[in-house]
Amino acid sequence: MIAPHKITKMRDKFLLAYRGIRERRARSILTVLGIAVGIAAIVALMSVGYGMEEAITGELTDYADVISVFPAKITAGSYVELGSFTDRDVKDVERIAGIKEISTMTFDSANVEYRNENIPIFIIGGDTEKLESVYVEPVGLKEGRWLRENDYKACVIGNRVANDYFDEVIHVNDKLEINGEKFTVLGVFKKGGMLYANDVDPHIFLTLRATKDVLQTDEISYIMVRVYDIDEAEEIAEEIKEAINDNHGLDDFANAMTMGSILEQLGNVFNIIRGVLVGIAAIALIVASVGIMNTMLMAVMERTHEIGVMKAIGAKSSDVLSLFLIESSMVSLLGGVVGCVLGAVAAKVISLGASTALGIEFGTVIKPEVLVGGMAVAMIVGVLSGFYPARKASNMSPVEAVRYE
Amino acid sequence: MIRTENLTKVYRMGAVEVQALRDVNLEIKDGEFIAIIGPSGSGKSTLLNLIGCLDKPTSGAVFIDGINTGKLSENGLAEIRREKIGFIFQQFNLIHTLNALENVALPMFFAGVRHEIRMERAEELLAKVGLGDRIHHKPSEMSGGEQQRVAIARALSNDPEIIIGDEPTGNIDTEAGNAIMDILEGLNHEGRTIIVVTHDAEIAARARVTKRMRDGSVL
Repeated sequence: MIAPHKITKMRDKFLLAYRGIRERRARSILTVLGIAVGIAAIVALMSVGYGMEEAITGELTDYADVISVFPAKITAGSYVELGSFTDRDVKDVERIAGIKEISTMTFDSANVEYRNENIPIFIIGGDTEKLESVYVEPVGLKEGRWLRENDYKACVIGNRVANDYFDEVIHVNDKLEINGEKFTVLGVFKKGGMLYANDVDPHIFLTLRATKDVLQTDEISYIMVRVYDIDEAEEIAEEIKEAINDNHGLDDFANAMTMGSILEQLGNVFNIIRGVLVGIAAIALIVASVGIMNTMLMAVMERTHEIGVMKAIGAKSSDVLSLFLIESSMVSLLGGVVGCVLGAVAAKVISLGASTALGIEFGTVIKPEVLVGGMAVAMIVGVLSGFYPARKASNMSPVEAVRYE
Repeated sequence: MIRTENLTKVYRMGAVEVQALRDVNLEIKDGEFIAIIGPSGSGKSTLLNLIGCLDKPTSGAVFIDGINTGKLSENGLAEIRREKIGFIFQQFNLIHTLNALENVALPMFFAGVRHEIRMERAEELLAKVGLGDRIHHKPSEMSGGEQQRVAIARALSNDPEIIIGDEPTGNIDTEAGNAIMDILEGLNHEGRTIIVVTHDAEIAARARVTKRMRDGSVL
């Protein structure tokens, strides 16, 4: 007898397994789809989760050197104003080492009238260049232009102010009355993204001078500090708090938040969101796994007779087992690939749909490790669910298996 | 040479025990052409399955060329089935996803024969059983007689000394059945041992030795 050639035998097993898959096209396609749907769910949900996270942290990372100082207690979802800052506070903050620049904002609610309709709206005033870099650059203007320092009775309005607040839509060059004084609309913001929807859309922006006049105040509602070295930000934030608290004789008057601490909090939130998404994907996968096991079991049962014949003509149990394992891993691999592709497409569709429906923009981030993980899960589930029925079949006595119809 | 020693097989169907074989002692010499006849349920197929190493006896033993097959591992039995025995079934039992050539080559595949060699040999064997022009046909595209000839070619693929046929003509018409018996006779002339189970007296008459079975015993 001719000596066995293990390598060619392996190659031939692959060919034979391939024949098995091709000959049962409908069942193979169903099995591949079963695996693909489970994997697609995981890939899509993870990619959307990462996409949301990146949309938010990415925007914030541009402001990593920023420390926001409020005269308020800020907890999750609430902002309790404790007063306002003074010029002396600003001067004291300016003296702290490591600070690159400081800008202040003044804001409060004012009565706004447009074509005989009166509505209280939040007015924000500050250094026009600083406001431009904080709000205009990320959000953008839909029409008109941004404020200049020498503009006086002029304003730029948020998207909701222009479109939703009054019966009639406000356009550039329309006139508004703010606390009784006439202002010309110079520009209208685009809709703010996830981060800016509440910061820009419902507000009206003026120069600092005009704001102080119209609100009749010298108070400062917010100080934005930029530092040279991000690593020193936490330390500087502490110094700012101390300096301002000393001025006011209070312990908890000023609240100075570095972007780092905001990002950290967001990171925690995203871990929870991702956990939930992975949980949902895991359920999808378990459901898919049961389906895969079922199709694999059926596929092997259906071929019990064939397995019996193979054994009767001299196949060893290990030959039969490896033949079926090769077949189920080929199917699983294909399922994994299809699943990754479907998942990536689904993630794009979801993010697109969510962006339009919710008015918040975020893309998808398809991480290679998610794809590799998806493939690995597909292989493991596919091979494991192929293993049990294949082993059962390969251990049957040939007579029993041949009789099986 | 094949020898059975007090070969007994009991099937359990729930609480009922069915004695399919009772202490069968049989000797089949090399190059013999033996027909085993008897009514259905007499134990013919059970005996054949045990000789063919497809099943294990409840007690007793089968010796093939002096080897006690009851002492062999699963893999050892698979090797005997592959190298020493060619099995022909009443239902042909071809793999329906493979064509004639691939079906015939399959036992050689399990024996690790290289692809080109086994295809060449499979083609020769199909020519030998008169199907040289139908090698690429699937079983579903062939008549019963043709399928059985493919099955014989498959049984011959690893050049076994023993050919076992369980009602090999049971599912085909008389003419095709005679053609199958002609081929088996030819194989016997080549020196191979042929064991056939049948309840067709005409078929049995073509064997050189006939054994009759009843109620699990060889008479």
